[in-house]
Amino acid sequence: MDFMFVLFAGLALLGGLVMAFHQSIVHSAFGLVGALFGVAGLYWTLGADFLGGLQVLLYVGGVTVLLLFAVMLSTRDSTRLAISRYVLVAPVVGIVGLFVYQAYLGVHAVVQGFGATPGEPQPTTEEIGALFLSPDGYLVPFELVAILLLLVLIGAVTVARRGQDADAETAS
Amino acid sequence: MSPLAALPAMLAAVTAEPAVEPLAQAATGGLVGSLSSYMVVSGVLFVLGVATILTRRNALYVLMGTELILNAANINFVAFARFGGHGIDGQMMALVVVMLAAAEAAVALAIVLRIFHDFGSIDITRTDSLRD
Repeated sequence: MDFMFVLFAGLALLGGLVMAFHQSIVHSAFGLVGALFGVAGLYWTLGADFLGGLQVLLYVGGVTVLLLFAVMLSTRDSTRLAISRYVLVAPVVGIVGLFVYQAYLGVHAVVQGFGATPGEPQPTTEEIGALFLSPDGYLVPFELVAILLLLVLIGAVTVARRGQDADAETAS
Repeated sequence: MSPLAALPAMLAAVTAEPAVEPLAQAATGGLVGSLSSYMVVSGVLFVLGVATILTRRNALYVLMGTELILNAANINFVAFARFGGHGIDGQMMALVVVMLAAAEAAVALAIVLRIFHDFGSIDITRTDSLRD
């Protein structure tokens, strides 16, 4: 399990670094694929089998394909990393990093008290399904997400189409 | 009388514990794969996401940085639920976050395509016509 953790954590961090610092946006997108897959592997090492599978399906398979399509359809201007901008932003990033580190130290002190070693991971899919459909579980968020996904489907098509209709009208 | 006699030994045990524990953890490989290591990975991913958002002017990079930040937060949800003995609740929260992130990505990419169509560029410093 430790080896798997090192493998997937390394994959996630490497992918994140490639995404943050590579010059080409296509390379950055594939770095994001690596990072998201590494995170899915971390879910698996944490015993979250269903969540890891969903991560691969939805992120690695879905969001990234959308992203690559957007790259193909829209990138004309330079995606280069502006060094001057980076120097400007570096202190801000450093401060955010320090803040995260401080939060880590604070939480770490609390966490030491947990002391419990988690048991063997169990299959979670059945429990997740039951929780999502039980009224004293997560039924309300489940239905809200369903409505939201319908709205997103309609909204995304509307937003992406509206300009084409206007163009067709002005052209005719 | 006996509690008082045992007090120095207890004190010694309490004060010695922090010095011994990390060594023992490292010796058994307990540090790798512990809750702290997941928190470190999550924190580094979060900072990388923030750096991506702040250093690029391309709107697609901003979206990618957002996705990375959401994933970093999700790792914490799952790791805390597992090591804190909260059962499956953290995974449920992470599931909802993943679904919302997918919805956000779909809408945001549609908006990016609109911006590219209207402005001829997805440089986020050039979409400032509301300023006029």
